[in-house]
Parts: sequence; structure tokens; C-alpha cells
Amino acid sequence: MPGDFKRIPCPQETFQPQLYCKSSTKKQLLQENGKRADNRSLDEIRPIFLKAGVVSQARGSAYIEACNTKVICAVYGPHEVQRREGFSMQGSLRCEFKYATFSCPGRRQHQTDSEEKQMGLVIAQALQPAICLHKFPKSQLDIFVTVLQNDGSAFAAALTCASVAVADAGIEMYDVVIGCSLRQAGETTSVLDPTITEDFYSRSVDGDASNHGSVTAAYLPSLNQLSAIQQTGEIEPEVAAKCLQKCIEGSVRIFPVVSQCLIKATKRKAQKSQQTAKKDDV
Amino acid sequence: MATYIRPARKRKCSKTIQEPKRLVTPGDVITSDTDFMRGHGTYMEEDKLHASVAGVVETVNKLICVKPLKTRYNGEVGDVVIGRITEVGQKRWKVDTNSRLNSALMLSAVNLPGGELRRRSAEDELLMREYLAEGDLISAEVQSVFSDGALSIHTRSLKYGKLGQGVLVTVSPSLIKRRKTHFHNLTCGASIILGNNGYVWISPMAGAEEEEGGGFIQNLEPVLLSDREVMTRLKNCIVGLAEYRMMLYDTSILYTYEASLKYTLEELLKPELMEEVVEDTRRRLEQET
Amino acid sequence: MAKVQLSLGEKTFIIHGVQDGLRTDGRSCDAFRPMELECGVVSNTSGSSRLRLSNTEILVGVKAEMGKPRPTRPNEGYLEFFIDLSANASPEFEGRGGEELATEIANTLTLTYDLKNVLDYQALCVLPQQCCWVVYVDVVVLECGGNLFDAIGIAVKAALYNTRIPKVKVQVDSEGQEEIEVSDDPHDVVLLDTCNMPVLVTVSKIGQQHVVDATLEEEACCLACIVMAVNAKGALVGMEKKGSSSLTMDSIQDMITTGKKVGMNLNSNLSSVLQEIGRDASSSGFLS
Repeated sequence: MPGDFKRIPCPQETFQPQLYCKSSTKKQLLQENGKRADNRSLDEIRPIFLKAGVVSQARGSAYIEACNTKVICAVYGPHEVQRREGFSMQGSLRCEFKYATFSCPGRRQHQTDSEEKQMGLVIAQALQPAICLHKFPKSQLDIFVTVLQNDGSAFAAALTCASVAVADAGIEMYDVVIGCSLRQAGETTSVLDPTITEDFYSRSVDGDASNHGSVTAAYLPSLNQLSAIQQTGEIEPEVAAKCLQKCIEGSVRIFPVVSQCLIKATKRKAQKSQQTAKKDDV
Repeated sequence: MATYIRPARKRKCSKTIQEPKRLVTPGDVITSDTDFMRGHGTYMEEDKLHASVAGVVETVNKLICVKPLKTRYNGEVGDVVIGRITEVGQKRWKVDTNSRLNSALMLSAVNLPGGELRRRSAEDELLMREYLAEGDLISAEVQSVFSDGALSIHTRSLKYGKLGQGVLVTVSPSLIKRRKTHFHNLTCGASIILGNNGYVWISPMAGAEEEEGGGFIQNLEPVLLSDREVMTRLKNCIVGLAEYRMMLYDTSILYTYEASLKYTLEELLKPELMEEVVEDTRRRLEQET
Repeated sequence: MAKVQLSLGEKTFIIHGVQDGLRTDGRSCDAFRPMELECGVVSNTSGSSRLRLSNTEILVGVKAEMGKPRPTRPNEGYLEFFIDLSANASPEFEGRGGEELATEIANTLTLTYDLKNVLDYQALCVLPQQCCWVVYVDVVVLECGGNLFDAIGIAVKAALYNTRIPKVKVQVDSEGQEEIEVSDDPHDVVLLDTCNMPVLVTVSKIGQQHVVDATLEEEACCLACIVMAVNAKGALVGMEKKGSSSLTMDSIQDMITTGKKVGMNLNSNLSSVLQEIGRDASSSGFLS
């Protein structure tokens, strides 16, 4: 993918230096004691820090941090649709997903590439069933997601973050959306919430590559439904269904974090408005 | 059979069964005799009559027309048409009727619930989308043709109005045979409306109770499976007839339906079998004339 | 996607029909429309195919060119997918109108083909770090009558089956320089092994049931669908949910089962048809 050389002065093509390292021994997914490299067990998710209302000028915003994966999201609108096509009594969603150029091991291009475009589309589709779109007809909601640091499962984190940001914006929602990722390694082994070294790459598997892959799902806890599924790699259908089930279990564990974060944000807002009310009285 | 893939090589070239009488292409001289009158699809140059479309020459007394095989619909007053609402505007609906321009259905040209002679109030104007919204299908009659060729249509009769459950098939308008009536309750157990504009509507046999409510209330009860089978078969027959360029009218449709009965609905999807069914029908129709 | 507007009555009719297991064109829920396949239709390509699925028409041209291997995979060649939703298919695709859908399809194809089981990518490498085959798979959508993903998936697999890549010899000259020599004998070619390549199956949820190979009208009634890439063994090599609605785990499981069944059937039918057509099929008449 060629960059925009007129605006950004840089060489035509550069590579990350790690590629020129003499390849060291391949890292094992699991340590000998059955734990992962960061001492988590197979189905343990990383501790999550989640905060709503971090971008003061946006209608709603959220920041999520799961160890080294950091994603920030801002929501603007709903506002009048610029280019309207046809009549619809439903609002529309637009989502832009972007990796910060420095967020990944290799430098990413400044322009939105096809992967990012695709992710944006998927996030919009995943949030759609959760938002009461009929409450704001003819208008549009813009969601901007930026991955600041990617240490695996960035897309799942982005899903959660986007839904918290929308909730923070006071948009009416049926449910929140929680994303969760899983890496399947062989028929029986699967690791929840993989880091970037654990994540699935199409060439990272030696030998038989069947039942190696990754699954990301977006879960609506109150509706008990899935609003997004992304699977790569080769996985048998029966195993894939199990993977989805595990993703749901992971999401259920994230859910309390999300609801607490939203409650805290609401409390903060309530305190602020009380304070201003007091000032007015004085 | 879940999937069926055929190599293109295996496709048989369908034999031309009968050559139409006189075919012309645009620019062809039809006649240099000045006695004839110029009809649709022709133009005069240097005292010669030329064709302006590719199609069949038709002569009625002194009038010469060229009828194109594929065309957009040119409306005439009194035609039965089927249209889809594309826009709700001020006191009028814009309707797609397969013609060059969108047709207009005035608020004053519909029967509103509550009697034919009811005055139209400002409230009705606000409720227009409740009556007919974008995407809705209606059957209507052409009331007048504007100078630019746009049609004004009306539904001021109980037989016209909003259409309920059913399937729409789109064919070329030239394939619809003009008849006294375009509404048919076929004996096989479904009713069809052959719109002059090439839109054909297949619906389950209408019950008497549906006439109430000014035609704006739709019956959304599930259609019986047996009725559905009949409608599906009819749809496939009409699509087949149109594909092999046979005129559509009640008899031709009914004969095709009867000829198709020897195959199951799934078999009928194969192009070879459909061709055979249409061929059978053609023979039967020719025998009768 | 090229959209059709439907009235409530039409939608209800379609949804109830799916419920009863009888669709408006007479198919059952797990049946595809009849397809017509042709290989070797464009002479300037390394391989090509044309697929007609009722009203959907796809033309695929494959061109193998020489390029530099990707730095992350110095000893492998690679595939590049490009989808052109031509305005011929629908005026909606004019200009940049079809771009979003086109990237979506291309991304799906890239993800599903980018597995080492699918194709022997190392065989496409000529000289590690210096030269490899880049196989451009260009898809043109000539007509759009629903179910683009599946039709494109089948056509791409057929075109790759038809692809002939010239054999290359690497010689080292007296100064130790490597020299590449491409055989100009049209029969001295490398063929691609397609048996592990997947096909795409879109399972669309309509009402309480799901169907495969939805028509445009059915797509208008469908709120959510799952696109699955299924290989001959019945394993999933990619799966994505599309559409604006969410799905319960039970229906997802049912849809996956259907997708697997139909996908395996499609794969076996396709490979037998491809064998019948043969590797070096030439055109028998284009678009007629």
C-alpha cells in the first residue's frame, strides 16, 4: 500500500529492523507449568482499566487499557447527515477505526488502510443492534476509535471501548457491547485475550495448521446475543462454536468492569452538576 | 440437490423456433411509399420511412409502427399499471412504473379510508406516509399523460390500491398482451395482475374481507403452504415465458402452469426443463389458433 | 450492495415462505440457484473464469507477474485480490460507490487464502528475498443479483484452477550472479493445487430460519448473515458476521452447521465440474 508521499516526507519503503534479526528460537505458547508467558492461565483475561469521559469536548468518550493494549474512543453527534440517501426513520452509525502509526511493532501508514476500514465497518455493525437508532431519525452518530498501543486483542478492546463511549454520550441503548478475543492453538488448547506474541498469524504455526486460528466476538450481555464474529485461520465448525462460547464467557467477566465504569462516570457527572448548582445558589 | 454447477460448454443453443415476420434495425428503410402514416418507432427522412428502433414492423391500415422487443413503458390512458412508491411529496406520491419518468399519484386520486366522497383535509396530507410509504406497491390506472410523457395515475376504484402479500415479477412491457381485463383469478388458485407496464403481481386468491378499510390495511397472516406452492410455480412460469419471449396473458400463463406440473418446483429451476415447458406451451397455443 | 426496495407485504411473504421452507423461486432453504461456469475465457490472462449464478455474473482474471517477496515472508510468493464492482452491474457502484463493498470482499478473500494450508506459497518463490510470483486475482462483477460473496468465491477458485504459471529456471553465471530464465513453452507450466482452497458460503438469517444463496429480494429481508469460508474437509478457514442485527448462540450454531454442509457439497461439486472442464479449457463463447 503506497503512502501519501506528497504530504508525509518519508522513504518509499521501510522495514522494521527486527526482520533482519537472525531468528531466535520460536517462543512456546505455554510455559512448562501450563501457564502463559505472562503467568496467566489459559482462560484468564488481563486486568482492565476502563474510564469514560476522557475527551472533554466530545459528546462521549472512553479509554480502555488491558496491560499494554490501549485504545481511546470518542463519539460525536448525533448530528444531521451530510449526504443523505433516501428517506429513513432510523439514525445511522459511522465508525472510523485507526491504529496510531506507532501502535504496532511495525510502523503503520498514516492513511486508513483496508484492514482499518474493515474494522470500522465491523464495529459500526456490532454496535447497531445495541443502539436505539429509531430514537434519532435522519441523523448520524460518529465514532472514532484510535488504538494507541496494540499488544493483542486491540480490536476486542476497541469494541468494548466504543460501546462505553456511546453510553457515555447519553445515547439510548438496549445493551452494551463487549468484545473478547481468543486464540485457538490445536484442537484442545485455546488462550483467551491473547497478547500480540500469542496472537494468531497465518505463518506462526509449524506442522499441522488445522484448528489454529483466532476468534473475536462482540457480545450483548442483556440480550444474550452476538453482534459480531470474526474468525481467521482454519478451525473446525464444532471447535469454532466452542470458541464463541468461550468468548462469551470472557465477555461476561468483563461486563462488571463496564457497568462499574459507567456508574462511576455517572456519579462524577452528578457531583459536578451538584457543585455547579451550589455555586449558583451562592 | 443443494448445489448445481453446469459447465458453460454443456449449454445447448436454443433453436430459433419461428422467425418473426419483419424485423428492422434503426435506420432501415421500411417503405418509400408516401401513402403510409408514420407511427411510433419510425421517422421520415427524404420521403422515406425509416425505423428508429430494432423490432417488428406492424401495419394497421395505413399506419406503420415498429414495436421494439425491449422498451421502457410508454403509458396510455386507461392502462392498468403496477407501481412502487419512491417518494412521498406535497399532496402527491412519486411512483416508479417502469416508465421514463416517475408517475404521479395525487392525494386527490386515491380512495381514503372512510368513504369515497370524503373531503381531503390537511390532516390527510400529514398522514400520507401512513397510507402509502416508500417501497409500497400499488395497482392503479393511468388517468392522464402529461406533455412530457409523465403519467398521472389514480386508484379511485376498489379494484385498485395498495397491494398486500405476494411476489412481483418484472418483464418487458411489450410482452404483456392488451386485454379487456388485466386482473385474473386463475383456476389454479392464485390471482395475478398483469400490469401494462411489465410489472406482474402474483398474490394469493383474495378473500372477501380484504376489501374493507379502503385497501390500506394489509393482511399479514401467513399464506398457506399450498397457495404458496401455486404462486411460486406461477412465478417461475412467468419468468420462463418472459425469458423465451412469449406473450403473457391468462391463457398462456395457465397453459404453462399446466405443462410445468410434471416437474417439481426444484426441477423447474433448471433452464433445460423450463425451456421444454415453454416449448410445450407454445405448441399447444399454436394448435388452438 | 445493490438495493431493492420491498413493501411490507412482499417482505412478509418472503419471510413466511422461508419459515415454511419454500422460497419465492421454489428453492428449499439450503439450495443454491443453478450456476454456469466457464474457464479460460480471457486469453491475455494466466487463468480466468466466468460464473453465472442466476442474475449474478462474475468474471475473474488471474495474472501472474514477478515481484519482490514481502519482507516478512522472504521465501514465499503471494496473492493479491482486487474486486471491481463495475457500474455496469448497478448504477449505484459508479465512481466510488462500490468501494466499501469491494474492500470488504477483497479483505475476506485475502484473509481466507492467506493460510499455509490453502496454497503452497513457497512454491511461488523464485529467489528468496529477491524474486517471487505475485498472483493478481482481479474480479469484475458484471451483474449483481444477490449473493456476491459466494459467487466470487467459486469464480476465484475456478480461475486459480485454470491458472498456468510459466516454469522458471535460476542459473548462476560465471560471476556468481543469479539469472532468471522463464520458459516460453506454453506447456511447460506450473499448475496450482486448488483442492485445499475454500469456497465462501453466506448463510442469511431471515425471520427465524436461515437460507443460503439469498436473492436480492431476500437480502433486503435479511438483517444478519454469516459469511463462512469452508474448505473441502468442512473446516472453517474464516468466518465473519455481517449485517445490522445480532444473533443468538443457538442460531449461530445452526447456521454454522448449514454452512459446513453446503460448503462441502459446493466444494465437491465444484471440483468435479472443474475436472470435467479440464485445466486447459479455452473459451467456448463469452457471455453468449
